[in-house]
Amino acid sequence: MLDQSIQDLLSRSLKRIEAAQSPAELEAVRVDALGRKGALAAFSKEMGKLPPDERKRIGMVLNQAKQSLESSYESRERAFAADALSARLDAEWLDLTLPAPGPRRGHLHPITRIQRELEDLFGSLGFTVLDGPEVETEYYNFDALNIPATHPARDMQDTFWLDGGRLLRTHTSPVQVRGMERLGPPLRMIAPGRVFRNESVDASHEHTFYQLEGMMVDRNVSVGNLIYFMKTLLTAIFHRDVTVRLRPGYFPFVEPGFELDIQCLICGGPGCPVCKQSGWVELLPCGLVHPNVLRTSGIDPAVWGGFAFGLGLTRLVMMRYGIDDIRQLQGGDLRFLEQF
Amino acid sequence: MKFSYNWIREFVPGLTQAALPLERLITMKTAECEGIEETGRALAGASVAAVLSVSPLPDTHNVKAVVDLGELGLRTVVCGAPNCRGGMLSVWLPVGRKMIHGVDSDGMLASGDELGVSRDHSGILELTGGEPGAAIAGLLPDSIIEIDNKSITHRPDLWGHHGMAREVAAILALPLTDPVKMDLLPAGDAAIKVRIEDLTLCPRYSALVFDNVKVEPSPLWLQYRLTAIGLNPINNIVDMTNFVMAELSQPMHAFDADLLSGDTIVVRTARPGEAFRGLNGEEYTLDPANVVIADEKGAIALGGVIGGFDSAISGRTTRVVLESANFLASSIRKTSAAIKLRTDASMRFEKAQDPANTLRGLARAIELLRQICPGARLVGGVADHKREIPAPPPIELPLPWLAAKLGRELPSDEVRRILESLAFGVAEASPGVFRVTVPSWRATKDISLPDDLVEEVGRMIGYDTITPTAPLVPAAVPPGNPTRRFHHRVRDIVIDQGFTEAYNYSFISEEAAAAFGFSPESHLRVTNAIASDQTLMRRSLLPGIWRNVVENAKHQESFRLFEIGMEIRPRAEGLPDEIPHLVAALYDRHGDGASGLFEMKRVAECLMPGAVTAPADALSWEHPARAATIEWRGKTVARLFELHPNLVETGRAALLDVDLAVLEALSAGEARYTPIRRYPSSAFDLSVIAPLRAHAGKLQETIAASAGPLLESVEFQRQYSGPPLADGTKSVSFRVTIAAPDHTLSNDEIAAARAGIIDRMRGLGFELRV
Repeated sequence: MLDQSIQDLLSRSLKRIEAAQSPAELEAVRVDALGRKGALAAFSKEMGKLPPDERKRIGMVLNQAKQSLESSYESRERAFAADALSARLDAEWLDLTLPAPGPRRGHLHPITRIQRELEDLFGSLGFTVLDGPEVETEYYNFDALNIPATHPARDMQDTFWLDGGRLLRTHTSPVQVRGMERLGPPLRMIAPGRVFRNESVDASHEHTFYQLEGMMVDRNVSVGNLIYFMKTLLTAIFHRDVTVRLRPGYFPFVEPGFELDIQCLICGGPGCPVCKQSGWVELLPCGLVHPNVLRTSGIDPAVWGGFAFGLGLTRLVMMRYGIDDIRQLQGGDLRFLEQF
Repeated sequence: MKFSYNWIREFVPGLTQAALPLERLITMKTAECEGIEETGRALAGASVAAVLSVSPLPDTHNVKAVVDLGELGLRTVVCGAPNCRGGMLSVWLPVGRKMIHGVDSDGMLASGDELGVSRDHSGILELTGGEPGAAIAGLLPDSIIEIDNKSITHRPDLWGHHGMAREVAAILALPLTDPVKMDLLPAGDAAIKVRIEDLTLCPRYSALVFDNVKVEPSPLWLQYRLTAIGLNPINNIVDMTNFVMAELSQPMHAFDADLLSGDTIVVRTARPGEAFRGLNGEEYTLDPANVVIADEKGAIALGGVIGGFDSAISGRTTRVVLESANFLASSIRKTSAAIKLRTDASMRFEKAQDPANTLRGLARAIELLRQICPGARLVGGVADHKREIPAPPPIELPLPWLAAKLGRELPSDEVRRILESLAFGVAEASPGVFRVTVPSWRATKDISLPDDLVEEVGRMIGYDTITPTAPLVPAAVPPGNPTRRFHHRVRDIVIDQGFTEAYNYSFISEEAAAAFGFSPESHLRVTNAIASDQTLMRRSLLPGIWRNVVENAKHQESFRLFEIGMEIRPRAEGLPDEIPHLVAALYDRHGDGASGLFEMKRVAECLMPGAVTAPADALSWEHPARAATIEWRGKTVARLFELHPNLVETGRAALLDVDLAVLEALSAGEARYTPIRRYPSSAFDLSVIAPLRAHAGKLQETIAASAGPLLESVEFQRQYSGPPLADGTKSVSFRVTIAAPDHTLSNDEIAAARAGIIDRMRGLGFELRV
């Protein structure tokens, strides 16, 4: 009889658990069946009155019913918890296509970008990065570079003159001299920076632009070293194998002096409008450092020699990004600057 | 400088390369070519034409001419030239048939200009001789190779065709001929005296006198030569001097001898204020820095630059003094720059011409005059006053050193061949060492060191024959550049805050300087500014950024930008200070500008963690109630402000101006670890009632100063004004955190600390809401 009652309770309770619509209803079932004052507890009490054999048997039945109820209850409870969680999370629906607040990262100036790239590149080759003043003396800008006042080469560089005979450096080459004075031989240095030429501005001419001067002074430096170095460097700059050639070029602070051309990166040599059909593009002047320049900077040319080059940073930037109007670089127009 | 291919070939008869490959060779071995221009193309099909008859065409300026082309037969052409007349010899070009004014015109009669042989387009060319139907004698199409002047600045000899021909001969290993016959120079006493007062300024002055001169147009071949290289034919005498200059790089000048006074030509410095009228008709006022050629009465030429108007060759000239002189390069350059006149002569002299060349020029002139002015007679011998110019010392060239410089071994024979082909003298001083003598035309400035010879050999063997070789040097860590690294780090921080980098010019206008409170006098001034708005060197980046703000505000509602650049601050002497600054701007067309300023303040705090913003009196370009300085580690490092609304048409611009030199100095040093506190801290809130314009920062400082040794931090929480607070007051709430290093604070300790602050604040006159 007790068996039957337990079975009835079990099946009734399981149905109620199944049918429970809310955690509260489920809880009510638990209290009724499994609670301290629930039905199973009552059966348990009644069981005490039974003879031992019977009590043992009924105890097992009762235990089975309890386990069955508990497991059913727990699974239903988990289901409710899962539903509750998904309901809560669903309510937290977010439109992630909305824009993120706050400012976007800004943009480095294209010249800064390329300049940094070159600083890193040269740094990896053991070059130190030097700075020099933008306002220079005639001595550093010209005389120390083997360009005395009467030298016609001064005409090659239209100079902005300032009060008191000072001038705006026309090239980054004065930093060669300052670098040699400061560091002494041997040395490897680059000097990127702003330079000035007194000329009218148009799409391809600026009075303010950027150069990167490079110099190596050591015991045995040859033209062969210079060519090797330039080739290595330009291959790294252009991220591809570059063919270079040297031809004579006149710059008073080097002897011999060269114009370095690279094989046209557009046509690869046969000739195109970019290289004016020649297959070559003039890229940078370079040469072996003139003994007078070494001597002026306190370096004995009988012991030391070196090469130097002047890379047109602005031109390189224009080539790399395909910028066709040099004025953009100092125009401050965000529509331009934000492209880099 | 333009070079005629045909002219060069006269001196290098073996030349077979066409102009284009020759130009490439010259570029690779000597000097940069800028291009080739074909000239006189029409000459290829031109024939001598005898004009048989001319009949006018009614109602036109033109005539119908029948011309005899010899074996080619007769042609009828319509011609518009005023000088077209029967019986003349002209030039016919086969340009095809065309109906003109109802006449079937076959070909055309051509002017000198149309043929490219002269600049004359006033009428058709009139020939003095020739067989009808034949080609025009001595006139051939030519290729003009243009050389970049900059690449021959150091080569006085390359300003003449013969010098370039020597290069060509050396490049191609061909023989070179010399057009100069020195034995033509007459011996005997000169017909004019020459005296140089300063042999440094004028190392040599040579002259010849001719009489029985007939001034007339030059023959066509000579006009063609000059026209082809861009010189203007004038008359036979002047053209001859220009021809010699273009051939030998020796500028010459011809005076009308009858217009000179006295029997002596003096080369002297100009008197202060001496007046001189040039051939070009311009008046010049000279000073003793200028060298003049003078007769008894005064200056007849500005030495090495331009001849005088009053002694110029004219149609009436019959006697000529021909000058062939040499001048100090630097003096010519200075004079030419001072009077702003660059001539073909001054351009050559300032490259340091060879004094030995004056006589070569005269010898060549004698031969040319025989051809183009047959009646002219030499009078007397050569007048020649000169400084003795010692031969330059020979250069020792050790061949192993040469190989080490080039990075390539070279057979000594090859070195010798190259140097000799360029007219150097080569002797073997000792085994493996050449003793090289330098030709006079390379010795004036160009070549004096063995390094100069490295170039001569290197360019001729071709740099492409040198194998690129890695330099072998000891590995070494290069000295760092902390300043530059620091600036890069600042850039990264500012970029991360949404700012885009701009570059501005270092030049500003006086107006822009004034807008930011600077007088023009406080700037370094450009003495030869390119434009009136670029006269001053910026001593602040603000004007540039201001322009960026105004310009970009036309296109964008809001933006952030910055620049890192140098403030140029003049000093009494020496170079100015160049102080790196960062100026950042945040613009918003809408809003009240407050959020922009606080965004900007955050940028400052990213650069200077823990910086204190201190209220400051606004400067004239700053919003009068929105300006502050940023103090960090005891120094004023930056200024934070809103740009005065007068300076921005619409919207607001928050600006931050940071002295990067100070910032860098303060940023040095590394962090030191302190152990993490083991006992918990305690916090409580306090609200201070203060006047509306009391600075929260000041209140915070006051609380901090009142908090005693347990204080860990005071943080602003919020502020409030409105009921129930009295008008004109606000309540500012702070969270105070306190802690002890060695124990957990007891409730009593916390209460005591709190009460202490409240007491001291009240003592200072603040009301606290507790």
